[in-house]
Amino acid sequence: MSSNENILVIGSGVAGMEACIMLSKAGKKVYLVEKLPIIGGKTIKNEETFPNLDCSTCLVAPIQQAILQDKNIEVFTYSKVEKVSGQRGNFSVTIRKKARFVSLELCLGCGMCYEPCPVSLPNEWEENLMEKKAVYVPCSGSLPNVPVIDAEKCLHLNGTDRSCNICVDSCMFAAIDLDDKDQIIEIIASEIIVAAGFDLYDVSQIDRFGYGKYQGVYTSMEFERLFASNGPTEGKIITRNGKIPESVAIIQCAGREESGYCSAICCMSSSKHAHLIKDKLHSVKIYNLYSDSCLTDKNYQKFHQSVRSNDSEYIFQSDMKSVKVTEEEGKLKISYLYGKNEDSVIVDMVILANSLKPSNGIGELTEILGIDVDKFGFISVEPYEIGSVETTKAGIFVAGCAEGPKDIQSSILQAEAAVAGVLAIAKV
Amino acid sequence: MSDKIGIFVCECGPNIAGRVDIDKIVKEISELKDFNDKELVVKKHKLLCSVGGKKFLEEEIKSNNLTHMVCAACSPRDHDTTFINVCKKTQMNPYLYTMVNIREHCAWVIPDKEEATKKAIQYIHGGINRVFYQEELFEKQLESNPDVLVIGGGIAGIESALNLASEERTVYLIEKAPEPGGKTMQGSNLNFIRQKTAKLLNNPNVKIFTNTKLENIIGFQGNFEIVIKNIISNELTEFMAGAVIIATGYDLLDCKGSEYFNFTDKDDVFSGLEIEALMSAQKKIVKKNGKAPSSVGMAHCAGREKVGYCSKICCNYLLKISGYLKTMYPDIPIRHYVKELCLPNKENQSYYNEMKSGGVEFQYVKSLNLNGETVNYTDIYGNAGESAHDMIVYAQAMIPASGSNELAKLLNTDLDEFGFYKEAHLKIDPISTSNDGIFAVGAAHGPADVTDSVIQAKAAVAKISVQLIPGQKIIPEVKVSEILEAYCTGCQTCLQICKYGAIYFDDERAVSVVNEAVCRGCGNCVGSCPSGSIRSKHFTNPQLFQEVKEAVR
Repeated sequence: MSSNENILVIGSGVAGMEACIMLSKAGKKVYLVEKLPIIGGKTIKNEETFPNLDCSTCLVAPIQQAILQDKNIEVFTYSKVEKVSGQRGNFSVTIRKKARFVSLELCLGCGMCYEPCPVSLPNEWEENLMEKKAVYVPCSGSLPNVPVIDAEKCLHLNGTDRSCNICVDSCMFAAIDLDDKDQIIEIIASEIIVAAGFDLYDVSQIDRFGYGKYQGVYTSMEFERLFASNGPTEGKIITRNGKIPESVAIIQCAGREESGYCSAICCMSSSKHAHLIKDKLHSVKIYNLYSDSCLTDKNYQKFHQSVRSNDSEYIFQSDMKSVKVTEEEGKLKISYLYGKNEDSVIVDMVILANSLKPSNGIGELTEILGIDVDKFGFISVEPYEIGSVETTKAGIFVAGCAEGPKDIQSSILQAEAAVAGVLAIAKV
Repeated sequence: MSDKIGIFVCECGPNIAGRVDIDKIVKEISELKDFNDKELVVKKHKLLCSVGGKKFLEEEIKSNNLTHMVCAACSPRDHDTTFINVCKKTQMNPYLYTMVNIREHCAWVIPDKEEATKKAIQYIHGGINRVFYQEELFEKQLESNPDVLVIGGGIAGIESALNLASEERTVYLIEKAPEPGGKTMQGSNLNFIRQKTAKLLNNPNVKIFTNTKLENIIGFQGNFEIVIKNIISNELTEFMAGAVIIATGYDLLDCKGSEYFNFTDKDDVFSGLEIEALMSAQKKIVKKNGKAPSSVGMAHCAGREKVGYCSKICCNYLLKISGYLKTMYPDIPIRHYVKELCLPNKENQSYYNEMKSGGVEFQYVKSLNLNGETVNYTDIYGNAGESAHDMIVYAQAMIPASGSNELAKLLNTDLDEFGFYKEAHLKIDPISTSNDGIFAVGAAHGPADVTDSVIQAKAAVAKISVQLIPGQKIIPEVKVSEILEAYCTGCQTCLQICKYGAIYFDDERAVSVVNEAVCRGCGNCVGSCPSGSIRSKHFTNPQLFQEVKEAVR
């Protein structure tokens, strides 16, 4: 197979997956590299998507399945790109496939190995709201539905107790191999699509929000998991102290001033959160502290307006930096400037709609790829072409939130545009 | 050769075997008697989806000369494709196989093992009943035309055409105006659009028809028969194309003299586009008497409430105009009247901050009225205010292009509640329309700026590039509807029901006929037919009754 038939896609969120599916249809061989043990990206952390409240899993699971079943797509989960050299038409790529210790071929995903494992750890994928074992899948419904062993925490692998073989013994399919090693794989790709996604601004750096200090303060992603039926509380809205909140404040634009840009999706995700809470807890009182409304799709305003009319009291914050969270007698007090006067509301739970930031590790990745980032750390596109999806290096394209904050459909459109770029080059 | 059916029960490790009695299932199914001369081969396997499992199935099919197969295992979402591939490998028609889900439907949801086993047996029995009524179906291949019709010569249309046209793919671009270029030609970035237009005119694989509109289109993805008409000469041109891109752009809501915007042509009240025109013609912004303004008000969201959506691009272009004004007249007051800012692009906030720190004022309002160049408003806290300016720039809502209704009807595509082209799926398929092979890009699809339009155009290019590969045939849906002519009364109810325009009426024989290349097998027509003359292949009444009869016993 000649090299211009091979494409490398980095990141398996909605943008990366869309690119893979389309490239495969075009007859390309696709290598998909994902750092997590599962594919699907951030979308699958949401129970429902705005504005139509479509179930995320229902949207994404068929795409995940199609990727895993596609013979043209070779999926490297739990892997990273370590080295890239060469140029358009002929990139040499080194991929490190981390030892998973559980065979993707032999494992059925029956889950019999989790329970006997003696090690419990915080589950980062669940925003640390629940625990996992040293042998784990990040969440129920993971695809591929094959666990991975945390080599640093596993008693056998980290040397604490070499005799611990409980998971191996519990597996009826001989799928666990504690001698598994990292693999280095060399491939040739003619083009690369970077769809490395985003992470969320670390709001613990902003003192006035009290995140990490007060138990009742959550990030938007923590709330998504709290609301998720496959999450830590199976969808019950219960705060860390075990109570059902009677009042909730959603603070929008948390970190917008600090990051220096509007994150484009939080107005809608905050409207969605207000609606979902109200839908589940009818008598709850909700406040949305907002400064603007960024409704980037024709279909957004109607939903947003209905939330404002029916579900939540919207309070205009004239100065985003004036919003402050403190704890008083077990309740959370949000003070803010209303006009020139200070005002406040008292609630049980606070959700911070924190801004999107470039994905952790984007610095290292862009260095490996030899492409530029902008002043915020997102990947830059070629500056002299309006609507470009090509990075500063020919043959390397970008799609989705790696380029800047955007919603699902904009990520998908950009991925499709990147595919057009790849196919156009292949034609020349 | 008499029918011989293989029934294979998967243990799925402990997942199924731990919670239902596999041996009992095999025994009871083997003893079933109600299949006349049909022979059953019933076997269990540890893991059908494994390499060994697939090989086992292949060997069983071959050595037993099986004609049909039932796999009782997990959800078809997991392994339907796996077993279909086994069928294909052994030359068994995959439509003579069916899957029964005894894991999610039995083992995992019924705590009592005996109950779960009983239900699994019923389900498998239903599957056997069904599979005998299944019929062989065969994929067809259709010739497909790789050429593309682009409707609209604005930036979205031009970008689509430039990226699609090749020696193997002709693009027909039609534009109702005398020249291509669209609304971007009225903007201030003329170099950009002129360069694009020049490239378009020089591309030998793009055939441009100006002063032209779509007259008629019939057919389906890969095979559209198209007639276009020159609106001056009335000359008709006919050609074939495999796909259509709608890039008909937008119009602007006329706000002049409306309830909230009380002004006349004499007043120094300008729309954003009028300012852009001034900029490109005179390189400066002046009042209608040619003099410099001394105080400018910027009215956002004109008509937003009326149309029901945010037009997304206006905050940014009013900021841009503030920038022009700041450069030209550093000392004059500039005040924006804003309901909420929408600055989605990562670059925009910096620009906003720059304007703000440069002295541009942002007044948040609940509502505002214009009276000539005077703004009356209620601020965000409910206080009334009034400001007199000598120039007003306003941003009015983007609305669907005139003629969208007729065009949508011709193309058999849906419009949304606002009159823009409706997407196949808002989140995961945003530029496909309800009609396969027809795409809507740029502002035809909803408010969009030039960048959005270019990206959407490229997205459509990718969709078409992978769906209509020159020289490659297309394979339409196999599980389609068919109409039994003898029973059809010619009432044409199905024509109204079909979303895809897949049914036509044969006047001569007075019956409805399904175009199998267009039908997607949704089955809506089947339910609607008063005489029961429509059957959905692979979901026929006997197949469903036979399956359900046993499953609900």
